[in-house]
Amino acid sequence: MSVPVGHYQYDRIDRDFLQARIAEFEGQVKRRLDGTLSEDEFKPLRLMNGLYLQLHAYMLRVAIPYGILDSRQLRKLGEIARRYDRDYGHFTTRQNIQFNWIRLEDTPDILRELAEVDMHAIQTSGNCIRNVTSDEYAGAAADELVDPRVHAEVLRQWSTLHPEFTFLPRKFKIAISGSPNDRVAARFHDIGILARPGEDGAPVFRIFVGGGLGRTPVIGEELFDSVREEHLLATLEAILRVYNAHGRRDNIYKARIKILVQAIGVEAYREAVEAELGQMELDRYRLTPEAVAAIRARFAVPLLEAPDDADAVLTQQRRDDPLFDRWVRSNTHVHRDPGHIIATISLKPAGGIPGDATSAQIGRLADLADAYSFGEIRITHLQNVVLGHVRKDRLRDLWLGLSEVGLAEANIGLIGDIVACPGLDYCALANARSIPIAQKLGARFADTALQAEIGALRINISGCINACGHHHAGHIGLLGVDKRGEEFFQLTVGGRAENGAALGTILGAALPEDETVDAIARLVDCYLGLRESGETFLETLTRLGHEPFREAAYEAV
Amino acid sequence: MKRPVRLEAGQKLVLTANRLLDGRTVWWREDGGWDLRIGQAVLLDADVAEAALSRAMEEAQRKGVVGVYDTAVLPVVPPEPVTVREKIRAHGPTVHPEFAVETAQ
Ligand code: HEM
Ligand code: SF4
Repeated sequence: MSVPVGHYQYDRIDRDFLQARIAEFEGQVKRRLDGTLSEDEFKPLRLMNGLYLQLHAYMLRVAIPYGILDSRQLRKLGEIARRYDRDYGHFTTRQNIQFNWIRLEDTPDILRELAEVDMHAIQTSGNCIRNVTSDEYAGAAADELVDPRVHAEVLRQWSTLHPEFTFLPRKFKIAISGSPNDRVAARFHDIGILARPGEDGAPVFRIFVGGGLGRTPVIGEELFDSVREEHLLATLEAILRVYNAHGRRDNIYKARIKILVQAIGVEAYREAVEAELGQMELDRYRLTPEAVAAIRARFAVPLLEAPDDADAVLTQQRRDDPLFDRWVRSNTHVHRDPGHIIATISLKPAGGIPGDATSAQIGRLADLADAYSFGEIRITHLQNVVLGHVRKDRLRDLWLGLSEVGLAEANIGLIGDIVACPGLDYCALANARSIPIAQKLGARFADTALQAEIGALRINISGCINACGHHHAGHIGLLGVDKRGEEFFQLTVGGRAENGAALGTILGAALPEDETVDAIARLVDCYLGLRESGETFLETLTRLGHEPFREAAYEAV
Repeated sequence: MKRPVRLEAGQKLVLTANRLLDGRTVWWREDGGWDLRIGQAVLLDADVAEAALSRAMEEAQRKGVVGVYDTAVLPVVPPEPVTVREKIRAHGPTVHPEFAVETAQ
């Protein structure tokens, strides 16, 4: 295979650059170890290479551009987990992977191994433009209007080592989608981009700015409705310039673009961007059809061939096997090709750690990707894994293969599909542990038939106000708080990241850790008792308001 | 600057840091060395803790540690940190029993 399916093919320049960067970092590590560099001097340098110091060890965050990997890359991540970590990798909501048990001394070697498969950890931390995220069904979903990966790659190239944007006031996160169904949480990003076809065939882009979670959750506001392809980079450049010039640098909590947009208003922001565009040399930033075509050519298109009866075979297999049928219901999505289907593999086993995978599971996923999906794997922003192009008549074989390694959980989009940040078990900034609550909830609702009965319900858990677990965007959100050294959880309800993005609102006083799971179970029971036929949790909540749920949750307290 | 730890009756202070090479959590021993086991940590009263902390910070680079600070413990055997955060640093993540840290003397 010369060009990988699904992601961009590196060339000599990319590879030489990575080697030079690793050599530079290796020198920095040496100087840190011999004391030439102090910790204060070294910290920003290691962060630029994705290396954090957590509670028990260093953590390395590896970039997965727009969440897409090939099997060779995934296998390498599995090997790194085995050799340099404690046999685990952790998939995150930013479509990255984190290793939680890394040694500083090993890091240059790990980066070299990553570079062998065209991967790195650059710009996964620090006040720069972070890994650009995209739709996990890109290039596959039937409901897609524009394949966002080509422009995600354009953005990756534009934002990587952009000299002007290396020291922004704060980190900067961009997401891009090409579907009318927002699967990237576009309005919770610093910049969210929704692509759709324009009249002349080239895509146009709707751009939101100033969204984000964290301490000050804000839903992004529309800056432009229809930016033409040729002006995409100029527009982004101008948005970043306004932020870089006017974003606050005196207070870390007020430094994100959302604060600037809130402070001056979206109209003033738009005027500032237009003024900037008016004095920019637009030709320098023009994204030509030729440039886009050249990038598109570096992505191989999968040859989607399936037997005529593929769909009939799948229908029959579903009829014959109710367990398989349940998995298909929750864990698949309609493909643009009638003979194919998109499969989402849950990394949320009941009672397990959301997003964790062992090296053996990672290796097995790579094998299954080779066998069933052109060697291509996608990481979702909900900490799961997607095989994008599975032939319908082979889906059951894939499912059986997944069952063998404990990866056939039928819970995507259901209550067991919990998003949780690392929390106080690893994270130096945490107030409370996120994972144990996720595990207890997962175990409580382990029965997949019960999960299917409850229906669409997302739980998101963050261990502190930084909101890495997107708790404000959860239908039910849990935020860990510290009360005199003890763990408490604040409950929010009604958040959503999909179309019609909304922030959850607080249900009541924070609960002690050991009462939280029961309170949520009562809340869910309350919903089951009150829902009208066909109503989802969010719909019942919208109809009845907080009160019945608040009463149920706090009943025993 | 970190705010001073407020000690309640019966509590003591220990010094802690992370090892530069591998980031592992370590505790300050009587002899000025650093140990993976909190059971080896020297218990300090508030009046002497400040001097010990300054010394440990000064020696941090030479002793191969980063981020030295003090935290309150109950003086049991092995000492038990007061906050959940420090308990987890002492014992390892609660979600992987196989990664538990040996804490004894
Ligand atoms: C364990 C190490 C981690 C540290 C130290 C860390 C730190 C932070 C901090 C300080 C913020 C707030 C930034 C701000 O508002 O300016 C933040 C936000 C965020 N983190 Fe993390 N994080 C960690 C792990 C993760 C993981 C594992 C994920 C994915 C599951 C993640 C996803 C996010 C996201 C999506 C946001 C953005 C929220 C927003 O829009 O403001 N982080 N993180
Ligand atoms: S939300 Fe807080 S506790 Fe969770 S990973 Fe982010 S910084 Fe750490």
